[in-house]
Amino acid sequence: MIVWKRACRSARPSTRPLSSRRCLSQRTLDGLERPVQSYISTSRDPYLNLSIEHFLLQKSAPESTILFLYINRPSIILGRNQNPWLEVNLALLNASGHDELETEPPGLGIVDLVRRRSGGGTVFHDEGNVNWTVICPSKDFTRDKHAEMVVRALRTCSVDRARVNVRHDIVLDQGEHALCTDPEDTHSTPYQLAEADAIRPLKVSGSAYKLTRQRALHHGTCLLSSPNLNIIPDYLHSPAKPYMTARGVESVSSPVGNILLTNERFIAAVQEQFAKLYGAVDDAKDVGDEWREHSPVCKGYDELKVTDLPTTI
Amino acid sequence: MSAAIAGSGGALAKVLQRPAQGLARCSHQQYLRLRAQRPAHARGLTAGTRALQKKYTEDHEWIDTSNPESAAIGISSYAAKALGDVVYVELPTIGTSVSKGDAIGAVESVKSASDIMTPVSGEILEVNSVLEDTPGTINKSPEGEGWLARIKVENVSELEGLMDEGAYKAFTEEVAEK
Repeated sequence: MIVWKRACRSARPSTRPLSSRRCLSQRTLDGLERPVQSYISTSRDPYLNLSIEHFLLQKSAPESTILFLYINRPSIILGRNQNPWLEVNLALLNASGHDELETEPPGLGIVDLVRRRSGGGTVFHDEGNVNWTVICPSKDFTRDKHAEMVVRALRTCSVDRARVNVRHDIVLDQGEHALCTDPEDTHSTPYQLAEADAIRPLKVSGSAYKLTRQRALHHGTCLLSSPNLNIIPDYLHSPAKPYMTARGVESVSSPVGNILLTNERFIAAVQEQFAKLYGAVDDAKDVGDEWREHSPVCKGYDELKVTDLPTTI
Repeated sequence: MSAAIAGSGGALAKVLQRPAQGLARCSHQQYLRLRAQRPAHARGLTAGTRALQKKYTEDHEWIDTSNPESAAIGISSYAAKALGDVVYVELPTIGTSVSKGDAIGAVESVKSASDIMTPVSGEILEVNSVLEDTPGTINKSPEGEGWLARIKVENVSELEGLMDEGAYKAFTEEVAEK
């Protein structure tokens, strides 16, 4: 019988008395009414970043459009309707926190396991990956619109192999410069190979969505310089999968690669393209630990923990 | 209604759709045999010839108004088509009290988790557990076998503000033009 301890960091409830907790300023709350808003997180806590993202979705003005950028410490982010038993190497996740495995290459230490609110598959976040979110009115939403915006941002940084694929993800084509394509077309590149070709494009960004009555949220990853590409497949492969029949949305695996840009350069490029698309916007507002104390954010924080793991086998 | 019956009734449907002379030729034993061949869960909405009186919301949900004590709700064919292939359905919890417009569940399709809102206030009485194993039922029969839940309508007057089939069709044509 194996006793599994959760190596994941838990969301710790605040022990500070309610009266001394800082809340968001009125100025910050008023800012949620602006027609175009831009935020960037100073926190690496995936629970906090996703809670802030959900708060922005729920509380921003229905006609507003928002850009939110954040980076998480090493964490595995499950899709809303996924089964962790099928998607994640739970034994590796558990062992990593206790240095019990001598893995080759070395494990990452503690890795958070988080269930996000949007659909789609499982992804790995670390400090070499920047997450981008755009929230807009439902009537203005299409699945490709903001992936196209990010591709334009990448192309301004000379990443001209980037394009949006049929799954609304961003890939880097791996062929020689052979085709003549429209440079404005974000769905094709001169390096594109035929679908049947042996060399698949490398996925650098995956998209997922959450659609409510009035608002649409599109968020995506962007692999810029992750040092962990070689061991991500180990974490995202479940040895239990062939032996289980379970409900849950399955991930679609793709070969991945780094774009090799700095986080800062990518962030600046995305903010610039967002401003170009939606008109001038105030400088991005920092969000961080102080938002944790705001009641709706705090409530959402614990909801993101993956609680359906066993304590014993 | 005939489309819903034809989709799930099979041989029984053909018997029911014949004119009266045809029904007279179907013996009672034959009727019982044919009815027993239909799976129990498929009798949910289409047993018998009771007409579903559907009304629709601007969020593309429908509600069967023929029995407000236990009204079936679901998403419209228009919505199901727009969503794409549904891969997961989150159903509400039986016994929950909900208000009109509350999100009572969600469907996942094309990596999107889309909220489903209740057209009326009331209490959730039953959920369609078929959707847990075969979420694609929503695409095959969104306004029939793909019903999501049954609700006890708290305030029947809320039904009056909803669109009938003709008005909803016109509404979807207007939306498509935009």
